[in-house]
Amino acid sequence: MTTAPILEVRGLSARYGEVVALRDAELTMREGEFVAVLGPNGAGKSTLMRSIIGLANATGTVRFRGAALKRDPAAVAAAGIALVPEGRGIFGPMSVAENLQLGAYMIGGRGPDYERRLARVLHLFPRLKERLDQVAGSMSGGEQQMLAVGRALMADPKLILLDEPSLGLAPKVTAEILESLALLNREGLSVLLVEQKAPLALKLAGRAYVVSNGRISAEIDPKEITSHGDLARYYFA
Amino acid sequence: MLDPVFLAQTILNGLSVGCIYGLIGIGFCVIYNASGIVNFAQGAFVMMGGMITHVLMQQHLPLIPSALLAIIVVALAGVVIERIVVRPLWDRKATMFVMILATLAAQIVIERLTLMLVGDQPKSIAVFTDLPPIKLAGVAIGYQTLWIMGTSLVLIAALGLFFQKTLVGRAMRACAINREAAALQGIVVSRMLAMSFALSAALGAIAGILVTPTQFTAFNVGTPFAISGFIAAIVGGFGRPFGAFLGGLLLGLAQALAVFGLGSGLKNMAALSVLLIFLFLRPSGILGSAK
Repeated sequence: MTTAPILEVRGLSARYGEVVALRDAELTMREGEFVAVLGPNGAGKSTLMRSIIGLANATGTVRFRGAALKRDPAAVAAAGIALVPEGRGIFGPMSVAENLQLGAYMIGGRGPDYERRLARVLHLFPRLKERLDQVAGSMSGGEQQMLAVGRALMADPKLILLDEPSLGLAPKVTAEILESLALLNREGLSVLLVEQKAPLALKLAGRAYVVSNGRISAEIDPKEITSHGDLARYYFA
Repeated sequence: MLDPVFLAQTILNGLSVGCIYGLIGIGFCVIYNASGIVNFAQGAFVMMGGMITHVLMQQHLPLIPSALLAIIVVALAGVVIERIVVRPLWDRKATMFVMILATLAAQIVIERLTLMLVGDQPKSIAVFTDLPPIKLAGVAIGYQTLWIMGTSLVLIAALGLFFQKTLVGRAMRACAINREAAALQGIVVSRMLAMSFALSAALGAIAGILVTPTQFTAFNVGTPFAISGFIAAIVGGFGRPFGAFLGGLLLGLAQALAVFGLGSGLKNMAALSVLLIFLFLRPSGILGSAK
């Protein structure tokens, strides 16, 4: 069954000064989909994410559930989209509990709904439960990534965007985090995952876009990719 | 020969004025943390606090309502400066240098407006508790000194609770740590900026209200206070509110001891020496700078 579009990106372009980092990106995601964005380093994947969320200086349109999105990260968050940025963006000097509370800033960081969301995140990442009072910056990279994802989930988003969540992490930890996302996706959360490690992303995604030289160069079915050669064909097309 | 009572009195006076510098320094830190901006209009808030309280008391309003009204008016003035001076530049991603110049210009505009409205004569307000000083081992402890120190300590504790325990305080800290990540949580960073100006202006106003009975206020007292508060913030570790308070105490003490040992002409030299010593030996300040 085809579901309604949750995210529609049309003619999205972004530049950093004179450098055009993204050209006329077109992307559609449906409710409940797990979509991967692949591509070599510097291809424009992160710029695509930042442009969708309103962090990059971009032109073009982004619609979420049919409504145009404002180019303002706080408004985008309020609409129901969460971004786990590259580098995690956790509040290092603050405790894990404070980070999670700020994830639920829009509901005032308290109340029954907050407790329900917190319980769900701690169930998903039990390691965070043991470290609630710990300073977030003192945790391992994997735990920080779990916190970044957990904090994003505290907003109870309808769509979660992840930018290179595997960066600098051990494969086992990455697998643990991505497994959690796959579980949430099965429960109905839409996931847009930017990932350099294509095999990881392709294992989970139902569909993938390839970004190359600032353009979305291909849309692929992960089942068609059986070797590195298949992927390289798209990367360097 | 060294008179220990006079020395103790000097230290007490130094700590008292140091509390004022500390409060102004905290104001610098709160705005800097929320926005990365160094607001040199901070001194104007100090002047306005004392001046508005004076004007209201001249209209036969009692001290407490006058002071509360003054704090509210100055906090609103802080928001106005943020809206019409800082925000447009911030949105255009102006450089720090431009921001500093703009806030200095705002300070001058406020000074000149005050000059036009109330004239150039110094004004004062009565001490809050009109009783003879308490004598302790020969040291006279004025009630206004107790007001200054007590209020400062209460404010430090309240600010600590605000930043550590409330969601808004945590959101302001989040903006200080990573503005982009804060926005991704739905925190409206520009609103935090306006709140930081209101909070800093209110702190400046309280400092002005506290210090005016011991000195005086006039249209042009803002700049020296701003400089002292700025030095306090640097000495404490820029962006560290508690550090700024410690820096203020150190600065007040250094100035008082310089007056005690070397004469009043060297008061400013002592302040700048403290700044230079820290810039050379520990540029990150007592607690280490926040960014």
